[in-house]
Amino acid sequence: MITAPTERVRRAWADHRQRPFWRMVQLFIDRIFRGGGDADTEGLDLGVGLVLTLLAMPGGFVSILLFDKYGTFLQWLRGATNVDPLAMALPDEYFFLVLSMTVTGAVAVWRWDAIFPDRRDYMNLVPQPISTQTIFFANLVAVLFLVALIALDVNAASCVLFPVVVGATQSKFLFFLKFALVHAIGVVLASVFAFFAVFSVMGLLMAMLPPRAFKRFSAYIRGVVVVYLVTLLCTSFAVPDAIRRAKDTIPAWAYVMPSCWFLGLCQSLRGRAGPVLLGLSRLALPGLAVVVAIALCAYAVGYQRHFVRIAEIADTTATARNPRTWRLRIPLDRFVLRTPLQRGCFRFVCRTLLRSEGHRLVLTAIGGLSLVLASQALMDAFENAKSWRQAVLSPSALSIPFILSFLGIVGLRLVFEIPVELRSNWIFQLMLDRDGEECEPLARKVILIFVLPWLLAIAFPVYVYLEGWRVASLHTLLVTTWTVLLTNIVLIRFRKLPCTCTLPLFKQHSFVTLLSVCFGFLLYAVSTPEFESSALAEPARMLSLVPIAAVAWYIPHRLARSTTDIERKLIFEESPTRAFETLGLEDFGR
Amino acid sequence: MLEALHLTKRYASLPAAQDVSFTLRPGQVLGCLGPNGSGKSTTVKMLTGLLEPTRGEVLFDGQNIRDNLSAYRKRLGYVPEEAHLYPYLTGWEYLELIGTLRGMPRSELEKKIDSLLELFSLHPNRHASIGTYSKGMRQRILLIAALMDNPDIFIFDEPLSGLDVTSALIFKNLVQALGQQGKLVFYCSHVLEVVEKVCSDVLILRKGVVIAQDSVANIGQILGQSLENTFLHLVDDVDTMRVARDIVTVMKAA
Repeated sequence: MITAPTERVRRAWADHRQRPFWRMVQLFIDRIFRGGGDADTEGLDLGVGLVLTLLAMPGGFVSILLFDKYGTFLQWLRGATNVDPLAMALPDEYFFLVLSMTVTGAVAVWRWDAIFPDRRDYMNLVPQPISTQTIFFANLVAVLFLVALIALDVNAASCVLFPVVVGATQSKFLFFLKFALVHAIGVVLASVFAFFAVFSVMGLLMAMLPPRAFKRFSAYIRGVVVVYLVTLLCTSFAVPDAIRRAKDTIPAWAYVMPSCWFLGLCQSLRGRAGPVLLGLSRLALPGLAVVVAIALCAYAVGYQRHFVRIAEIADTTATARNPRTWRLRIPLDRFVLRTPLQRGCFRFVCRTLLRSEGHRLVLTAIGGLSLVLASQALMDAFENAKSWRQAVLSPSALSIPFILSFLGIVGLRLVFEIPVELRSNWIFQLMLDRDGEECEPLARKVILIFVLPWLLAIAFPVYVYLEGWRVASLHTLLVTTWTVLLTNIVLIRFRKLPCTCTLPLFKQHSFVTLLSVCFGFLLYAVSTPEFESSALAEPARMLSLVPIAAVAWYIPHRLARSTTDIERKLIFEESPTRAFETLGLEDFGR
Repeated sequence: MLEALHLTKRYASLPAAQDVSFTLRPGQVLGCLGPNGSGKSTTVKMLTGLLEPTRGEVLFDGQNIRDNLSAYRKRLGYVPEEAHLYPYLTGWEYLELIGTLRGMPRSELEKKIDSLLELFSLHPNRHASIGTYSKGMRQRILLIAALMDNPDIFIFDEPLSGLDVTSALIFKNLVQALGQQGKLVFYCSHVLEVVEKVCSDVLILRKGVVIAQDSVANIGQILGQSLENTFLHLVDDVDTMRVARDIVTVMKAA
């Protein structure tokens, strides 16, 4: 029987895939997307398709939003009739570059545990008749495949939509094609650079530090990388202008920002690079080559030091440190955490937030965002002010504690939803009274203890020193009141012990929640400081905030009272609300 | 024949195993006993080739296993102490992965997986992900993975952990059957009754050193006691009744 060539190819590929090496490559790819680390339970398994869709979404959304900027009719309405699309696209090109670097870098940070072979791989693969070199190369192939896939996926939407948006006013198809090609080269290379940069940072640490020290420091280093990525994203508002202003000499800061190198590369490929961008473009490809080389060397050394020696690492006994006693524990227990349940659960939640890697990463990312926004506000305050006094009383300076408290509260509320080792929550299910209603006050206390003391310890003394007791007291009172009110609002109908419940499902109203958070941020951290800035001159005006505060206090209070008993019960599992329920009446007839 | 010759493993300056020597012949089921930290796991890892000894060597049929680890591992079935499995794979997929890595022909592999899953009562759950399996089910998957390529040497490290009564009984009979088939079986456990029942010989470790090695019957005869009492006498010399009484006293204390 004659078989079709396609069938032969299919069979050959199927046979090929069943070879031990390719079977391991498949296993590693699967593991990178679907789980890693030493936990034996399944983590958050979103599925490969959904993960790729989520990663591709930011580029797509941003491209669509740019229709407004590049639309000829809207440009005409704005009075811009003869625009150069390439010059106009420079800031957006830069934004896409940093976006692709941030998303890809974040993926590398997020999946770090799954990228490198771990103890589970060791215990399952090493006892089989395959060499450790084969495992090394199989994992390397999986990592390279992952890099290619992520780089293409993250940038796929922008590679099509952004050139369409920019080239919509151009009649030549060649313009679109050339623009798309250059954009694709720039963003894909930037993505690859970001991935290998994170990889080499972690790999170098792995190669240099002993396994235990690496495990301890890796969470902090990942936090620093996340902060850097967030900062990089925030530079998109300032860097294109700063580069335009630099005429002939490359600013020193641009050398340490790889996003500028790739912007230079794109512009030079288009033949639109000035001396600054041309100089920066020369760093892009050598920089990429160096980072890839460092990453691969570090990976090889790290593999030898960590993976091949896992059995030895496991058998050495850990040196236990003496637990440190916290001096504030006694007053906290006496005055704030009044019940044994609150004391026990508070310590559990604090230790989870401080020690669980996932929780720490999310909190670090939010902390990084807070720092970036706060420092931007600080710079704004001093940039537009003529004196110290004017600067510290400007809305920008006053907004700093509001920004920090808003993101702190929302961030903590978010991490409360992330579970830690669900198999271990049986102890709480066993011990806690489901009708006890102690979880919401506990969550409130955790948020306030984590957020408020820092704000008060910094904002109050600074304003006392700069502006005197009156302004400091008013400002601190307002920040404290707003922090307490926002905490009440974010905990409406909260009925879980933080970090012990399954992850909430994605619901339609998640978008509404996201929009509410953005709108809330504007009200909380922009409008309030603006009002406060004018009201501090006439303190009586502060009284007009009292009705707003009263409403903000009353709404959660009212909602809590109208909640039914069933809705107040403590839960450990997020189950979707059913559209209808059967009454089970058929049992009555039996 | 598997020979452990003067196996010594040191971590920094701490010895985990010192001068451990024994011989495992075809058809022999050698039990390995010892309290926590006695060097059992280190010895097992050196026997499987996961750990390189600081001194000494493991010989299989007269050849150092490290000369050709892959060939040795092809003839080795290993059940580790902890069931580190991939939770997102199904039981069938995991076994298929292990079979592929061991180079088993596909047709034989699929038949064996199906038959063994059936015999270990896992067939109905074969397409469920391992993340949803109980501890006993995971342990059974590990046992199937060790058995399906019909190796010559078996190293079991606490294989009964989490198994239900029926599966444990099947496994005990299986170990004896493997011995009768001329396989080499090294069996590490804390459960003295099981070692007494399924093993022909026993090796007792304490602080990384072999303190007794003989047939189960002979070891008991030396002190004229059961294996349990002999073990306690040799290894810990602890008054277990007194410790139990002390625990109750501490529990009652205000």
